[in-house]
Amino acid sequence: MTTLASPARGSLANFARDHITYGIFALITLYFIVFAPNFASLATASAVLRITAIVSVMAIGMTFVIVSGEIDLSVGSVASFAGMAVAMLYDSGAPTFVAPVAVIAMGALIGAVSGLLVTKARIPSFLVTLGMLSIFSGLALTVTDTRPIPILDDTFSAIFWNGSFLGMQAPIMWTLALTAIGYYMLHQLPFGRRVFATGGNPVAARFSGVRTDGVKIAAFVISGVTASLAGMMLAARSTAGNPSLGAGLELDVIAAVIIGGTSLFGGYGSIVGSVIGAIFIGILGFGLLVIGLSTSIQEVVKGAIIILAVSLNRR
Amino acid sequence: MTGSQTSGAARPIVSMERIQKSFGENRVLSDVSLVVERGETHALLGENGAGKSTLMKVLIGVYSADSGRIVLDGEDVTGLSLRERVDRGVAMIFQELSVLPNLSVAENLFVLREPRSLGWRVDMRRMIADARALIERYGFELDAAARAGDLGFAQRQMVEILKALSRGAKLLVMDEPTSSLTAREEETLFTIVDQLKASGIGVVYISHRMADVLRLSDRISIVKDGRLIGPLLPGETSIAHIASLMSRPAEGEDAPSRIKAEPPKSVAIAPRAGAPALSVTGLSTAHKLSNIAFEIAAGEIVGLGGLVGSGRSTLAKAIFGLIPDVSGAIAVAGRPIQLGIVPHAVEAKIGLVPEDRRREGLVGNRSLAENFALTNLAGLSLGHGFGPMATGRIASLFARYRSDLSLMCRGPQQVAQELSGGNQQKVVFAKWLATSPRVLILDEPTSGVDINAKRDMRDLIKRKAAEGVGVLLISSELEELMELSDRILVVAGGRIARTLERIEDEAHLRTLLQIDADRRAEFHEKEGAA
Repeated sequence: MTTLASPARGSLANFARDHITYGIFALITLYFIVFAPNFASLATASAVLRITAIVSVMAIGMTFVIVSGEIDLSVGSVASFAGMAVAMLYDSGAPTFVAPVAVIAMGALIGAVSGLLVTKARIPSFLVTLGMLSIFSGLALTVTDTRPIPILDDTFSAIFWNGSFLGMQAPIMWTLALTAIGYYMLHQLPFGRRVFATGGNPVAARFSGVRTDGVKIAAFVISGVTASLAGMMLAARSTAGNPSLGAGLELDVIAAVIIGGTSLFGGYGSIVGSVIGAIFIGILGFGLLVIGLSTSIQEVVKGAIIILAVSLNRR
Repeated sequence: MTGSQTSGAARPIVSMERIQKSFGENRVLSDVSLVVERGETHALLGENGAGKSTLMKVLIGVYSADSGRIVLDGEDVTGLSLRERVDRGVAMIFQELSVLPNLSVAENLFVLREPRSLGWRVDMRRMIADARALIERYGFELDAAARAGDLGFAQRQMVEILKALSRGAKLLVMDEPTSSLTAREEETLFTIVDQLKASGIGVVYISHRMADVLRLSDRISIVKDGRLIGPLLPGETSIAHIASLMSRPAEGEDAPSRIKAEPPKSVAIAPRAGAPALSVTGLSTAHKLSNIAFEIAAGEIVGLGGLVGSGRSTLAKAIFGLIPDVSGAIAVAGRPIQLGIVPHAVEAKIGLVPEDRRREGLVGNRSLAENFALTNLAGLSLGHGFGPMATGRIASLFARYRSDLSLMCRGPQQVAQELSGGNQQKVVFAKWLATSPRVLILDEPTSGVDINAKRDMRDLIKRKAAEGVGVLLISSELEELMELSDRILVVAGGRIARTLERIEDEAHLRTLLQIDADRRAEFHEKEGAA
């Protein structure tokens, strides 16, 4: 019987299966270190982490949604819209610290709407957030007639991208801080247990007294918040709100989460895994660039490696 | 074809010879030999975890044996795959039925070999006609055009069995076939098994229900610690004898005698001080229940009798807040609770051990500790829900219940779905006991668990009642209902048909349940006609 089936053997096999992506990750990094000039340097490392920060931040929020058994396709366009929104707020004279708070609140609201549509109107999250993707990429383009809006507030740019804190560049700092917060929420707090239970078996969770609808709505709110944060980081990077900044990012974000070992069917996953997944995608992109592949071929290779990594890591 | 038949008459359908199977260092089957004759119903008994399922999986080809030989109808099939053995006539009727609920009975029967017309188009009309012919040949009561999802469990089982027969099955393995059937449906199933026997098909019948096994089988084998005991002949053994063969040696010497049904308690409930643990008044739901009222005193066990579909489980769910549209009032220890919201029921210290533990009881892919803590997340975290989980406290509490319920597992981090049924059920119990409940609602708490786990569970229920918990017990096992309950409420057609304070014997109770069910059905018919 199954109870007897897997004592010692199981844990070792499980460990190997759980960590096989990290093996591939290490191999590919090693390949770049050997074949790409100057790849093993602090400059490269910090460049990769900077590039990765935006996907990492969104992947942290996305992990909550996917672990709860849903999906959020809208994060890229919500990020674009958030970047536009913050630029427009500054353009109309909003104080430095008010605009970001307002934009984060907006992100939370967007997430709440998605969550309510998924749980109360019982529309599959794939469709709800596909609709949201379209709505917010359209809105981001419409509000300014597709023109970018420059951001002149230097403090904003410093906080979200150009500055540094405790000797660490802002995007890396954001990644670390959000990883810590996400880890604490998903892996330490009772809330995290509810998210896992909801994704693992929503019926049993409900039978145990978990408000599964509330848990899912909260997960979408978290994803909305991290998407709008990432949007502001994008805007700070280019010191402008640009309506297509976040376009297509949702695919990298979802890939990062899945590569990190989170089950697309919910109930299993890890925050640190998602961030490592994001870094993996970052290293892959950067390494292929340094090696000198054209951008179009890069995409092909990247896609193939992502499929390979995910297929080996399937739950 | 016919030439070899003469010698084939005496040849067994299947013989498994000296099967060994280990997983890692764990030997699950050692030197097991099992023979099933043509037209024989061979019962396989054993505790959860004894190796029954592994043996059957080796038989049908899900696992390959480390050593030993399997001969199917004269042919050595040891090296053949699951697929190849199915083609040669081995079929397993799974506990979780594999009927496709969205398709019709006929479509289910002919999955992957639908009759065609024009070479590629599925010929629906012929399929239904073929299905009808098949159903008629075996004399089943089944509508070929009905959607499988609308059928009851017994009829779904018929579909499974027919599917196997129509593919030329010679040997059927039935795993716990009666676990979700009503008394009437059981009778139908037994008739079917007898028919199979008559047409020369071998049946391996796995069950925890001793009475069924004694009545139905030609021979009985017992799996214990990976070895096979028997075969025994049902005429030469008894429930107590079988139980003693199955039971764990470390357990007490009085084990066999305890499983005998105790004489029904003569009920004289002394009026208890204080508010009742649970009081239900005028409880109605939109579709099922009407005007249910009863009370459970602290320390009292109230049994709910009734046939499947009578509304017992709905009542349990309604009390626990799982049904949104309810009217009426529920109070726990005198304090009314808001209806239709599970967290409120949990907060009021009601616990529910649900009927379907895999779907409703446990989050299968998460650890035992996580499942255990799920009912009391706020209480088991620092800062009452705002701080991190108190892992140390969870671990020590889990350890306590683990030894208290003699839960067999590798540790708190083991994933819930790896446990056997009885141990899973203990985890579900533990997660509610950890909330120190005032009211425990138990929906078929011992279904599908082995006889020792069953005894553990019943002792536990008595113990909890003695500690002052009010228990609402739903059970289709009348013997269990009679042994445990202080009172039995008979539910029929969504109402409480009668309250039984004293019952003569099991047969009497069975008759009463059937009478009430029939009476309600009649009443509904009259109402419909008027």
